[in-house]
Amino acid sequence: MNAAPSGFPDSDRRRFLRLAAAGGASVILSIAAGTAGQASALPTRVTAPASRTRVYVLVVDGCRPDEITSALTPRLAALRTAGTDFPAARSLPVMETIPNHVMMMTGVRPIRSGVPANSIYDRAESVVRDLDRPADLRFPTLLDRLRDEGFSTGSVLSKRYLFGIFGERATYRWEPSPLLPVTGHAPDNFTMDALIAMVDRVDPDFVFTNLGDVDRVGHSDVSGTTLQAARTTALRDTDNQVGRFVDHLVAAGTWESSVLIVLADHSMDWSIPSNVISVDQILAGRPDLRDRVAIAQNGGADLLYWTGPAGARDAGVAEIRGLVAAHPGVLSISNPADLRLGPEAGDLVAFCRTGWRFSDPWVASNPIPGNHGHPATEPIPFFIAGGSPRVLAGSSSQPARTIDVAPTVGALFGLPAPKGGYDGTARIDAFGA
Amino acid sequence: MAFAGAAATTAGATAGALPAQAAGAVVPGFLHGVASGDPLPDGILLWTRVTPSADAVPGSGVGADVAVKWEVAEDSGFHRVAARGSVITGAARDHTVKVAAHGLRPGTTYWYRFIVAGVTSATGRTRTAPAAGTAVQRLRMGVVSCANWQAGYFSAYRHLADRGDLDVVLHLGDYLYEYGPGEYQARDVVVRPHDPAVEMTTLSHYRRRHAQYKTDLELQALHAAVPFVVTWDDHESANDAWSGGAENHTEGVEGSWASRQAASQQAYAEWMPVRYEPGGHLYRRFSYGALASISMLDLRSYRSQQASNMVDPAIGDPARTLTGAAQMDWLLDGFSGAETQWKLIGNPVMIAPVRFPSTLSAREVGAVSQLLGSTTIDGVPYNVDQWDGYTADRSRVISHLRDNAITDAVFLTGDIHSSWACDVPADPLTYPSNGASVAAELVCTSVTSDNLDDILGTQPRTASVAVEEAFKAANPHVKYLDFDSHGFSVLEVTPGALRMDWYVLSDRTSRAATSTLSASWQVAAGTQAVSRVL
Repeated sequence: MNAAPSGFPDSDRRRFLRLAAAGGASVILSIAAGTAGQASALPTRVTAPASRTRVYVLVVDGCRPDEITSALTPRLAALRTAGTDFPAARSLPVMETIPNHVMMMTGVRPIRSGVPANSIYDRAESVVRDLDRPADLRFPTLLDRLRDEGFSTGSVLSKRYLFGIFGERATYRWEPSPLLPVTGHAPDNFTMDALIAMVDRVDPDFVFTNLGDVDRVGHSDVSGTTLQAARTTALRDTDNQVGRFVDHLVAAGTWESSVLIVLADHSMDWSIPSNVISVDQILAGRPDLRDRVAIAQNGGADLLYWTGPAGARDAGVAEIRGLVAAHPGVLSISNPADLRLGPEAGDLVAFCRTGWRFSDPWVASNPIPGNHGHPATEPIPFFIAGGSPRVLAGSSSQPARTIDVAPTVGALFGLPAPKGGYDGTARIDAFGA
Repeated sequence: MAFAGAAATTAGATAGALPAQAAGAVVPGFLHGVASGDPLPDGILLWTRVTPSADAVPGSGVGADVAVKWEVAEDSGFHRVAARGSVITGAARDHTVKVAAHGLRPGTTYWYRFIVAGVTSATGRTRTAPAAGTAVQRLRMGVVSCANWQAGYFSAYRHLADRGDLDVVLHLGDYLYEYGPGEYQARDVVVRPHDPAVEMTTLSHYRRRHAQYKTDLELQALHAAVPFVVTWDDHESANDAWSGGAENHTEGVEGSWASRQAASQQAYAEWMPVRYEPGGHLYRRFSYGALASISMLDLRSYRSQQASNMVDPAIGDPARTLTGAAQMDWLLDGFSGAETQWKLIGNPVMIAPVRFPSTLSAREVGAVSQLLGSTTIDGVPYNVDQWDGYTADRSRVISHLRDNAITDAVFLTGDIHSSWACDVPADPLTYPSNGASVAAELVCTSVTSDNLDDILGTQPRTASVAVEEAFKAANPHVKYLDFDSHGFSVLEVTPGALRMDWYVLSDRTSRAATSTLSASWQVAAGTQAVSRVL
């Protein structure tokens, strides 16, 4: 057992494992309290057992479906060809990282999980913040539900805020490191080192992995809408990392018992500097309204919260809706409940058009060209692959969504639906008898 | 679409070209075949026309009411009847019969027939649509448009009927033409004259013309073999029709447009296997499981008058419309709310922008202008009757597709007697550099109606080829173009890709015309772009 890695709060409920990783580095995992076995008792390497089914969800964060090609991402493309592709797959509102990862793991809409966006206005604390606390997620996830049924689970999440919200739900958790400044994520080669080390040594039945490079580079790609050179490089590298993982499973002899669900949480859209929407600016001439609204900016979406007197809410929100909707870059404004978002999403959700972005609470707050959260970023890659004989090859027209991951994985493990049922659908047409 | 010029000669009317009932056919009987259409998961629309007495000819307004029985069975021998009933028809609806059979099973082949006074019709074969949301691995449809009786024989329909592998036939309009003999035919030859021998302007005319087309045995064979999903373009009423008139309508001399349009729509409702009835709307949507939806547009009933030419600023006037507001809302809502992967649009006129190349000879410019009813101003869009003449409406569609990242939308188009495979650019100005496309457009050619080689008076695939290359150079999103061939298309839709095959006829004026696969283009799922297969 080791000390907690630096940068994360320690917990007396956690124990730590230090595992050898590629290149002589080490990977530190935390282990759920009560997990059987000590580090010293773990096998040095998995031996191929075969009757189990291992399921790995790989999220290529922010990847657009048209970016997976045999030329640019040959390993991902080969997996897609060999498995069942869902070309009609889409992300769900708000098309951001945290809510869609939560939907993958819960199988329910934000109105039930409490997680509608990356960034929300916390009325209790009177602050705009990320939903990155374990208590923000109010619904059981696959990571803990499978664990409760006797399966072992793992989380290998490259982004600090994802590790934050999923916290200690998995049996084995990698706490992302090293975290890059600004992006708050660990590079994919480190993430993949951790995933491989985890499956190599503790071999969970189910592992949830986020690869953050494609998204992080997409946000900051200064070549924006033209060359996207850095994005292309990231796609090639992430594809190599996925290839490493497949090769490892093959070498370990577990490929034939593995199912891979590969998808993105959202895609990406790029805007030019002049195509910026600032609700702060829109309301600049109406201080009576501006002073009574809080704005949680989510790139392609703004969540607006009425903070004025309750009696003035309806009229105030209606006025704000009209003023914001008149902006040429605004695509639509919805009531959160209509998008199956809960009260955490505020009073209005504004989406931008393709090629635009929100920048709030100030017009200079969001300088990055690559954004998501708006409907233009709904299409995602989503395919089910792997060496397991249960996986079929082909394409399906079914409207796969991020929320379908939990019921699909649950079906593979025979896990009962959570209380109240899933909002998603098990995509069992990817599997044979 | 428009055309210019008229034929100098006609081949002369012959008894054989007249409707069958005029030649003394046995009555009572079913002289115009049987048809089915508008498939739903639990039902199908069945059609026929009964001739109860020798004088009850189409358009006559004569003949007694008559009860017609109908049967739908799971086998061609009618041992397992799934639905049956009886319906009264009469002169008020030109003795046509339309039955909305329901209670059927989804994705199932059925046989149907009609019976009157002990006389049984031919047996038709049809198929219901798969249930909503179900997995469908393949949908195969025939795609046709622009069948001018006077310009040739309907061999395209025969070849489609002979395939035996189609789920549905999509007819994108110009199912029949309004002209009288000598006004529009195969180059200068009337292969077979229209009945009545005048331009159709009255209800009686429209009924007789529909009846004449329904006597064509090749069309009858296709109707009896496969359900149709149809929409009209302009020639079902008059050339370049709009909500208040038509290029080929002279107000007063040919009656009022309102009455002429109403007559054309009534005859269409009576004589076509379509659920539409006057007072309703023709635009409607069908779905085939989770695989595909088909939104059939009506781009004639609600449109503003065509602009005078493409430099007329009216083309971009947001107050002008091609679809009408209600149909536009319905179309866009259908994209956003689609629960199907492929969003197919039965689109009577072309939506991809097309600009006139500046490199053509005066003769070529004249010929293309005649074919397409176009302006001759270089470098500007060429056809004010297409979406190019209603750019505000087109922008609404393209913006909606783009802003909502609608995937797998494919426009299936007729009208212009030529074969095209195009991307629909998100922005034509930036398309050459970024290739950004929001949808694909696949245009089927005419069954018989004249096209470029016919107008140039040249052999097919000779002089037109250079014109096609010039059009593609001036319009980089146009990937495939054949200005000469006549024939039909077959569209195969699967979850992974959609493919259009273009089949060309050896000779539209020959009853024995053969067909040859000429080109094949696909749209891979998620790409919104066409690519060559063959």
